[in-house]
Amino acid sequence: MENKSGSHRLAAVLSDAVLIAYFIFALFPIVWMLLISLKPGEELFTTRFVFHPTLDNYQAILFGDPRAAAGVVAKQEFPRYFLNSLILATGSVVVSLLFGVPAAYALARYKFKGKEDLAFTFLSFRFAPELVVIIPLAVLYRQLGLYDTYWGMIWVLQLVTLPLLIWVLRSYFEDISPDIEQAAMIDGYPWWRIFWNILLPLVRPGLAAAALLAFIFAWNSFIFPLVLGASNTTTVTVAALGYLSSAQSFFNRMAAAAVISSIPQIVLALSIQRYLIRGLSFGAVKG
Amino acid sequence: MRVRNLFVALSLLTVFAMLLGACAGAAPAAPAAPAAEEPAAGGDAAPAAFDWGMCKGTELKLLLNQHPYQQALVGELPVFEELTGMKVTYDVVPEQNYFDKVTIDLQAGESSTYDAFMTGAYMIWQYAPAGWMEPLEPYINDPAKTNPDYDFEDILPDLRNSEMWNLQPGSANLGQGSQYALPWGWEANAYMYRKDLMDAAGLKPPTTLDELVDVSKKLKEANPGMAGIDVRGSLNWATIHPGFMTMYSSYGCVDYDEKMHPQMNSACAVEVTKKWIDMVKSAGPEAWTTYTWYQAGSDFGAGKGASLFDADILGYFQNQEGTAAPEVLGNVAWAPGPLGPDGQLKTNIWIWSLAMNAGSKNKDCTWLFLQWATGKDFLTTGATKYSMVNPVRQSIWENPDFQAKMAEQTDYLETFNTISSNDMKIQFTPQPLFFETTTEWAQALQDIYAGADAQERLDKLVESLTVQLKDAGIYQE
Repeated sequence: MENKSGSHRLAAVLSDAVLIAYFIFALFPIVWMLLISLKPGEELFTTRFVFHPTLDNYQAILFGDPRAAAGVVAKQEFPRYFLNSLILATGSVVVSLLFGVPAAYALARYKFKGKEDLAFTFLSFRFAPELVVIIPLAVLYRQLGLYDTYWGMIWVLQLVTLPLLIWVLRSYFEDISPDIEQAAMIDGYPWWRIFWNILLPLVRPGLAAAALLAFIFAWNSFIFPLVLGASNTTTVTVAALGYLSSAQSFFNRMAAAAVISSIPQIVLALSIQRYLIRGLSFGAVKG
Repeated sequence: MRVRNLFVALSLLTVFAMLLGACAGAAPAAPAAPAAEEPAAGGDAAPAAFDWGMCKGTELKLLLNQHPYQQALVGELPVFEELTGMKVTYDVVPEQNYFDKVTIDLQAGESSTYDAFMTGAYMIWQYAPAGWMEPLEPYINDPAKTNPDYDFEDILPDLRNSEMWNLQPGSANLGQGSQYALPWGWEANAYMYRKDLMDAAGLKPPTTLDELVDVSKKLKEANPGMAGIDVRGSLNWATIHPGFMTMYSSYGCVDYDEKMHPQMNSACAVEVTKKWIDMVKSAGPEAWTTYTWYQAGSDFGAGKGASLFDADILGYFQNQEGTAAPEVLGNVAWAPGPLGPDGQLKTNIWIWSLAMNAGSKNKDCTWLFLQWATGKDFLTTGATKYSMVNPVRQSIWENPDFQAKMAEQTDYLETFNTISSNDMKIQFTPQPLFFETTTEWAQALQDIYAGADAQERLDKLVESLTVQLKDAGIYQE
């Protein structure tokens, strides 16, 4: 008895140790980024952990560079880029939800000609390399006047967000028994109330997970904002590269920008967490 | 039935929304069209005198690389807008992806967005044959379009000629044909070193390739933990063009002969390559194969490299307060690249330039901007008040304010004088496949660094390039 609990405890300690080691390993790049973002330029390339921490980098990217050489434009537009990213990522997810949820439902529930082809077409948007379509898109966008507009960017980001949403939600809708809908129909519910009051609450965990993932992918998108956007719609992913200039490599400001850029994703992930966990138990109860 | 209706309704809704999106996006572009007509009328109607105000009210759009030159331009743009009554907007793109953006935009031709853009001289070889760059000599030579004080001849001839080309592959064709871009700021590749470390080790800046290898090794030995020399080594054409191409050319090697046969496996080329790789292996930075402009420069500025063989202005940017480590600041000195066996110095250069998009709808007005941006007034302000080094105009090198500013950099002006009085030009042979072939060249250097035999690997490189050049119709039998 004694012996058994002893070996249990040893196993528990060991597994904790392994988990902690992995935790440190996984988080180290983020910690390193935080450290770099706090380093002054002179100590940027030292490999010791000892340095004089400063908030100058954050100040520089948010409010402008207090030490910019005379005559150099020190105006910082990072807050605007951040807002752009926020508008584009949120906008894309909202648009994807508007079209993706009904599409996912239709693909899960109805039989129609070319259904699987259509579903596969959506999926192909996700796995086709962006670079394959970028040049024709760039030419089209200029001709249509969509270049460097929020509308154009949100539209093209549908290539990133829509397939993800459709495919994740489709499987959620498939898991719901049609009996539930039929029961509601017998009770006299119109189709849109069945959809809104019964089906949507059931797929909410899937909705939250897919929307979060779509938001992260849209936020991280680089090639579309680079090629199809310009000064009006610059996002943080494109702007962050700007801290490496010919004259100076501000790795510290780049790190500060990355730290700030990761905040919305972290906040969103934390606030959606309870839905994600409920999603895990969802299947168990149903079974 | 109901189900099908729902699906049809949803599909229609989607199509409708997409159309709506297209229209909403298209709307803002419409007002720009009428403005495009004005300049042509204004430019043609006045054959006699030049007038800065001839494009009043016109809007121009520029595509700029994030760079100190661009910062100077943006800082002074209000001066141009006041002078001409024009409105100039611009998009700035970080350098890593700048040329991707330029290439894609130029491909849009007539519907491209930008009237003028920053470019390097090598890019002319790709963009001009495609018809994307407007030849500029008709504008330069037209007194109705160019202000009398422009003084094109004041721009250093080596730079001007490096951006003239007749679209034919071959080194003799550079300096012939049309002027496709205007030099704006440039870099000469030079040897930069920490004079405190050099003095402490009792060494002198190298004057031959053997000395370069030797001095780099000794600097590393004397300073453990530091690279003896920082040079670029990433898998990119830009690895070849600074120090390596300068040394290669001074040594008497060429990239192609007059029939466009690759020469990277000549006895001369193999010797330079072997010594260069030996130097990098024994005295270069540890992660050499990842080194670009940024790593090479940052290392030198951070005190992690004792010398640097790259653009002279890279050392200048690193030798500034806020960038340089305390022990580096003020201790940087310049020297020309080492000489070849015949005592030759053939420095390769990089020229940041301005060019006109052939698809621009406001060409005469764009020319107003280009002549202002490469004119004496702006470039002098850029060189003295901002960081527009190196200046492209002889008059600015002679400007006392500029000289005083650069005199703080040890031997900078002397080095420039030596370099420019010797063979200073683009040492590469112009040809449209430049970027592909030169990146492959960098790949060969990396392979040799990893242990491949230099002669064998360079033979293989020449073999591969020959096939490509033949396919493209560049190789002459």
